[in-house]
Amino acid sequence: MSLHFIEFELNGRTVEGMTDARRTLLDYLRTDEGCTGPHGGCEHGVCGACTVLLDGQAVRSCLMLAVQANGKRVETVESLASENGELHPIQQMFREEFALQCGFCTPGFLMTLAALDRTEPRPDAEEMRAALSGHLCRCTGYQGILRVVDRLAEERR
Amino acid sequence: MNEHTTITGARFIGERVHRKEDGRLLTGRGTYIDDVVVAGMLHAAFVRSNVARGRITRLDTSRAKDMPGVAAVYTAADLDRLNCSFSNAVFDMPGCPAPDDGLLARSDVRFVGQPIVIVVAESRAVAEDAAAVVEVEYTTEQAVVGIAAAKTGAPVHDGFANNLVNAQDSGPNDEIDKVFAGAAHVVEETVRNCRQAHMPMETRGLVVSPDGTGDLTIHRACQSPQVSALQVAQIFKLEQGQVRVIAKDVGGAFGLKMTSQRDEMAVVAAAILLRRPVKWIEDRLENLVAAGQSREDQMHVRLAFDADHRLLAADVDYDCDFGAFPYAIQSSASLVTPMFPGPYHLPHYRWKAQAWYTNTNGLAPYRGPWMLEMLAREIMFDVAARKMGVDPLELRRKNIIGKGEQPFQMPSGIVLTDVSPRETMEMTVGAIDIAAFRREQAEARKEGRYLGLGIANGIEPTTVSFGYFASDVAHVRVEANGRVTAMTTTFSQGHGTATSLAQIIAERLGVSFEDVTVVEGDSSRTGFGPGAGGSRQAVAGGGAAMIASDKLRDKIQRIAAYAYNASPESIRIEGGVITVEGSPEIRSSVAAIAQLAYAAPDRLPPDMELGLETHHRYQPPPMVFANATHACICEVDVDTGKVSILRWIAGSDCGEMINPGIVEGQIAGGVVQGIGGVLFEHAPYDEAGQPMAVTLKDYLLPTALNVPRIEYKHMCTPSSTPGGFKGVGEGGAMISPPTLVNAIADALAPFGKTWVEMPLSPDRIICGIVD
Amino acid sequence: MKAAPFDYVEAGSADEAVFLLGEAGSDAAILAGGQTLMPLLSLRMTNPSVLVDINPANDMAGVSRGEHGIRIGARTRQCDAMRDPMVRNCVPALAQAIAHVGHYQTRARGTVGGSIALGEPAAEQPATAVAMGATIELRSGRGTRLVPAREFYVGPYMTTRADDEVLVAVHFPEWHEDTQVVVREVARRPGDFALVGLIMLLDIRQSKIERAGIGWFGMGPTPMAAPLVETALVGRFLSELDPRGLAQTASSQLEPSDDLHATSLYRRTVAQRMFERSLQTLAGKIAA
Repeated sequence: MSLHFIEFELNGRTVEGMTDARRTLLDYLRTDEGCTGPHGGCEHGVCGACTVLLDGQAVRSCLMLAVQANGKRVETVESLASENGELHPIQQMFREEFALQCGFCTPGFLMTLAALDRTEPRPDAEEMRAALSGHLCRCTGYQGILRVVDRLAEERR
Repeated sequence: MNEHTTITGARFIGERVHRKEDGRLLTGRGTYIDDVVVAGMLHAAFVRSNVARGRITRLDTSRAKDMPGVAAVYTAADLDRLNCSFSNAVFDMPGCPAPDDGLLARSDVRFVGQPIVIVVAESRAVAEDAAAVVEVEYTTEQAVVGIAAAKTGAPVHDGFANNLVNAQDSGPNDEIDKVFAGAAHVVEETVRNCRQAHMPMETRGLVVSPDGTGDLTIHRACQSPQVSALQVAQIFKLEQGQVRVIAKDVGGAFGLKMTSQRDEMAVVAAAILLRRPVKWIEDRLENLVAAGQSREDQMHVRLAFDADHRLLAADVDYDCDFGAFPYAIQSSASLVTPMFPGPYHLPHYRWKAQAWYTNTNGLAPYRGPWMLEMLAREIMFDVAARKMGVDPLELRRKNIIGKGEQPFQMPSGIVLTDVSPRETMEMTVGAIDIAAFRREQAEARKEGRYLGLGIANGIEPTTVSFGYFASDVAHVRVEANGRVTAMTTTFSQGHGTATSLAQIIAERLGVSFEDVTVVEGDSSRTGFGPGAGGSRQAVAGGGAAMIASDKLRDKIQRIAAYAYNASPESIRIEGGVITVEGSPEIRSSVAAIAQLAYAAPDRLPPDMELGLETHHRYQPPPMVFANATHACICEVDVDTGKVSILRWIAGSDCGEMINPGIVEGQIAGGVVQGIGGVLFEHAPYDEAGQPMAVTLKDYLLPTALNVPRIEYKHMCTPSSTPGGFKGVGEGGAMISPPTLVNAIADALAPFGKTWVEMPLSPDRIICGIVD
Repeated sequence: MKAAPFDYVEAGSADEAVFLLGEAGSDAAILAGGQTLMPLLSLRMTNPSVLVDINPANDMAGVSRGEHGIRIGARTRQCDAMRDPMVRNCVPALAQAIAHVGHYQTRARGTVGGSIALGEPAAEQPATAVAMGATIELRSGRGTRLVPAREFYVGPYMTTRADDEVLVAVHFPEWHEDTQVVVREVARRPGDFALVGLIMLLDIRQSKIERAGIGWFGMGPTPMAAPLVETALVGRFLSELDPRGLAQTASSQLEPSDDLHATSLYRRTVAQRMFERSLQTLAGKIAA
């Protein structure tokens, strides 16, 4: 099995390391970089709990190899709040709308919404809701998350 | 409650206070079980049976043992060195013989996924590499799959005469047959639910660290560290004090993580044998195949009505599939038949209930394990209504009980108090202009569109408090700096108990919400408590916290009264600031009183114990009843069989709410799980006992695009417990399936079919109409 | 669920991919979007010894016009293909079909070529290729060949691609700009595999059907063409069509199987209605 040196940007800083070919990006981030925000809910690319941004796009990190992150820009949920701990506006909305209970799926949802939030032209509510199809939540019944999308869409206008 | 407890400070109970947990969870800094890293820890993987029923004829682990990076490969024979035997004190049913008590399969296997070998290696990947080269051969036998097969098939367990786990009935009843014979209307159907998986977003897992003296520190994704520790101590014959279970954040449980299945205990055994820390994180495949499942049950129902549509009699026969190794012997069957009559007058009732072993994944309690009682009854009410030509709501109006009729004794002997079924039903349906809907429905039918309205009522027995669930304890103390620490036996897997209890404590003590820290999740910090399960934490944990806080508040008042030469009743506490009514010049603080309590013994009243801490162990009443009525409007596309939910109203009487945001969240989560169980979720087995939905491509959960925007209506009939709280965790999951099924059946009424078998997938709907 | 060990190599170009695949033999797999291959690896359902990653092969991505139609490089991301102006204008059926594929997060990595090469019977893109009469470009050390999509799929996940061939591009012929496009799918939830899916192109001029292309998905072991129905449609006026009769013909040509999510009866019933309604809607739209 091949071993690879990788270097990439993670949450604004350059990181480097060695990885077996078969390591997923999710496992590498969690174990080698201490980024335990992305979670492994299924390891087969359905639940969305592992979602990170790769060069600004929301992707499933369990479906990428760590070696494929070489030279790329990776952002996890740990990058959303400010340095002094102030929540990102979307995080604050989640709190206000009771959009999380156990919190396991939450980092994934936050990254998809963060990607949508930065997209130009800005997606409307329907497009944002459509993107939620790639995430599963078992606790909240999605009610608070849908209210957050309502508010994000409202902000646009 | 004592006479000095007058709340003079801010009110937190009843407020949508933002949760304390969110700060860390939103920023990815929660500590779930896979985030736990212990120095030197190894990783476990299992070899699991891929046949449902058979004898192991050959088991060769030599290649696995030789693989580089592998620390150990253990079979049942290796674990026998430990003198451990599987048990589950919380759920074992007295009088029911327990099947094989091994942690790993010995000579035979009884369900696909049963653990046979545990491999421990330097990484999970290497452990799986090694597991892949363990050689197992079986002779296979015809698997016993499904309730019908269980009744007549060969025993699943060696030494058992048949597959009956247990059977109960209501006893001889000659009169009921006469009632049925003479009744104006009789309906009869078998309502079948479908097997479902709990599917918490986080799978099971634990990290077991032996410390060399025989003590174990275990991090476990659980519903109660104390229950987890109790089970480990019993299985491995350790002193309770030798086992410490810790958990911080758990990604949902819904009953699956209450007690352990055998595989988790095999991880403990491996750690003990290896004398090294061992981590096992269940993967999703294992979770869907072997973790434990629920809802494969059915009820044959006969209902008799008189000419006036009043319910005369019910005769039911309930069967539940318990799988091969159930770990919820008590929870499912025991409440189905007692609760079946629900919030209705029922003069005559006869029931039978049986539980069966099969060669499948074992039964694990899943959010409202006895919910078939609501599903069967409410579906059958609508079936009866259609047959009798009466509106389903009118039928319910004729038979439902209301507040004025309590205490109300159900046929099973259970006495209902503090519920408002009639009133809640009227509140819920009052939110819909039913006449307008019926007009819209009629117009739509002319265009080939099928809209439906469904209603369901249910009584929820919350705050289960029998056996090990009988009590919870809260230790509350004001620290020397005036801030408050509470250690409780509640535990959250998303419940937000730290927030809810902090609201109670802050309000009762008179301090600010921010100054209260609730500590859960460590079996060494408190005495025994059952944690989450049975919709009990708000009442049991809340009650313990409330009474403990009141005791503490009383002490603060008495210390302050002594210090300021005032009466205790005149001491006012708000936001941690203490004032004396009638003496505006006096201004003190809880912190200052704490200073006295810890450091100035001479300033305390004579004979008063130092310190500012207390605890209370609270035993709730045997049951605390809540009730709910949900209503749903849906559209069924009869070209594709797909169901769209257009509107959902969740009406409930859950007593006083501590935090409406949390309460509504619990209701919503349950409602959507219920929607899943009707439309999407099904974990079937084929005839050979092979599970057919083993990944999330096949086990389908509702997504955000499949759910309605739930409208909540609240009624409040306080319970008789401190605070007047009631449980709410399971109610949504129980009542939502019949609500949706009734809406679908109402939509499809023109087709004249009966919809009593789950799931109501597009296939079942189209084939049901076409056939 | 951790994959078994494998070696990983990067292909910086199509030729390099061909070379590496040729070297590795039948034991290699191409890693494109990974949305299908990675789960198979994690579940240990496939066990290649070498993964050839074509993500760095920029010459395998992009949309251009060529002699066989609109050429879409295999590594073109689904999200990019869906938004590409040339695809939207010249191959609108594909753009519409991709909108049904997976989810926002999977389309960011999933590729057109990956889906075409996989040949999932219930997938949108292979059916679109079949409906439109697309051509699949395969390259190996032995050269390049073009295979019609209608000859490419031979069984569930089975294509005529040889082990040493890299699918480098898919050519979608441009249909007349007035072509009516029907993309219909019934799935349990958005993004799921189709229970029943239909891609239909009807080139209609002065109400007469000049050309018809049909591809079903979820209705058989491969994406299913419907040559009999196409023949029955061509040369007919919309007004003289018998949608119900044609739907029955269409449905009778199909032998979908039972699976966990739907029975054959369901599929045939729904397919027939889907076809009939599509024709009725089209006829109504053109008449208006």
